[in-house]
Amino acid sequence: MKEKSIYEHLKEKGLSRRDFIKLCGTIAGMMGLEFAPPVKALGKMVHPDPTEMVAKALSSQPKLPIVWLEFQDCAGCSEAMSRSSSPLLSKLVLNDLAIEYHETLMASAGYQAEKAKEECLKDYYGRYVLVVEGSPTLAEDGIYCTVAGKSNLDLLREAADGAAAIIATGNCASFGGIPKAKPNPTRACGVGEIIKDKPVVNIPGCPAIPEVTTGTILHFLIMGKLPETDHLKRPLVFYGHTVHDHCLRRPFYEAGKFADNFDGDRARKGYCLYHLGCKGPITYNACASLKWERGLSYPVQSGHPCLGCSEPNFWDGGGFYQGQSAALIPPAAKTSALAAGAGLAAGATLAGINSAKKNRAKKALASAAENSPTDSTTAAPPEKKEE
Amino acid sequence: MDWTEILRFSRGPLFHFSLIIFIAGMIYRLVRIIFLGWEKDRVKNQGSKWSGVIISYLKGLIILPFIPWVRRTFRNNALTFIAGGLFHLSLFLVLIFGEAHILVWQSLFGVSWAPLPNPIVDWLAAVGIISLIILLINRLTHPVLRLLTKLPVWINWTLVFLPFVTGYIMYHHLWFPYEVIFSLHLIFVCLLLIWIPFSRMSHFLFYFFSRTIHGARAGKRAVSP
Repeated sequence: MKEKSIYEHLKEKGLSRRDFIKLCGTIAGMMGLEFAPPVKALGKMVHPDPTEMVAKALSSQPKLPIVWLEFQDCAGCSEAMSRSSSPLLSKLVLNDLAIEYHETLMASAGYQAEKAKEECLKDYYGRYVLVVEGSPTLAEDGIYCTVAGKSNLDLLREAADGAAAIIATGNCASFGGIPKAKPNPTRACGVGEIIKDKPVVNIPGCPAIPEVTTGTILHFLIMGKLPETDHLKRPLVFYGHTVHDHCLRRPFYEAGKFADNFDGDRARKGYCLYHLGCKGPITYNACASLKWERGLSYPVQSGHPCLGCSEPNFWDGGGFYQGQSAALIPPAAKTSALAAGAGLAAGATLAGINSAKKNRAKKALASAAENSPTDSTTAAPPEKKEE
Repeated sequence: MDWTEILRFSRGPLFHFSLIIFIAGMIYRLVRIIFLGWEKDRVKNQGSKWSGVIISYLKGLIILPFIPWVRRTFRNNALTFIAGGLFHLSLFLVLIFGEAHILVWQSLFGVSWAPLPNPIVDWLAAVGIISLIILLINRLTHPVLRLLTKLPVWINWTLVFLPFVTGYIMYHHLWFPYEVIFSLHLIFVCLLLIWIPFSRMSHFLFYFFSRTIHGARAGKRAVSP
């Protein structure tokens, strides 16, 4: 029997055609599809309407099975997803795209859950999308994180084997995140460092913006491939600009108006948070444009500097509340004193050698003068010291 | 190549390392100069050395820059005097009163002060850059200066110009991603810090020593020497 398309599933649940087209428009807009890839028709290049393209994909594609694995994480990305601002989209992903296995969200547990996963991996081999949340651990073959008696490395490799694409959501899965922070006892790392033979896309953030995760999954569903990425494998649509680029406090930055503490008048007036350690200028993420909670706000808007959570090693990247230009490791008084001492010693030694040399030369001159008393007036040692 | 990592490296270990070299190098130079030897003061001083020092600073830093025509340097080469003067003024103000630079001082010394408004610092930086370019052109075209200019001078000019111009580009978010231009700015500053003690740029500190000593000598009233 032919598998039902997503549209047919939605129709069964009572979604009208009008609502379906609206949904397609929303998806296209959120994915940043300004126009669809051109199609050649009747000898001309035609740019189809993106909404139409989304609608076609959703009405022709069967459900997209998703396997969601969790390793060293706080489930924050899942939490963000389940409380996503656009209920339409997260509902679509959570209910209608068929997440086949998700430890936190699924009703079943224990053997039942593991059995469901096994079946899914077998049935949908080569077709499912693997979403990874949390960082895998390399230390001692991954025994620091086990599920159902299997180490996380085995679990990851097993699931990645039949995956059509892998999406690493959150900073932990993308770059190692907080588990990777010094001293990193479990040797946490990003998924991309372990799985090399499959397409991996990173959705870093702490948590990842749910619209970005859903958007990337939908992109795969609609386009049949993962979105274009930057050098850190982040989708360019969402990670193409810095938080600073679209920040609503940007005009204050341009005007040179900065808040100097969290409590003061200047902070209340909404001035730029650069002095308070905002990492917006070096952080690539869609916070400032997509925002959170249905576009309600994002950290900088609510008065907290950007922590740079979509960048690798953000947890060890220097203090969160120190201005961007401040020295990360200012030399301690002791180090400076040592450096000064070294300079002093080197200078004094060389000066000593120099003056010994001069004294020798003087003595030589004096003895030469004694030997030839006639020249004694001219051979007097020079008064002025010179190098 | 991940520029965020490079930025972290330049803000952290590289800056740390350059500061240490800078401190050690400056102390080394200072010690070498002091140990060159002092003249023995054999004659009783009838004047006041301190007033000589004060007059020397007043004349050199406060009065003469505003009535430059009394100086032969100015009458002979007004361009060098004006461009050089503006460059030094701009460098000093941008470095000490620039918003972002104050954060650096604060992280190093724990104290901060009120910054100059950003637009003013911005204009000053532009003035500094233009002066540097004018001085370069002057150096390239002046026949005598060209004979005097050797490699260290070119290095001096380049290592001062690059931090200036990268800082300006960074402030205006031109052409480069922020983390790239910020890293470059810091790398050039670090190179400059390492270069200063071993070049004539050490005059930023030794100028004050020599002015003090010359002032004291000028204030001395005695039979020679």
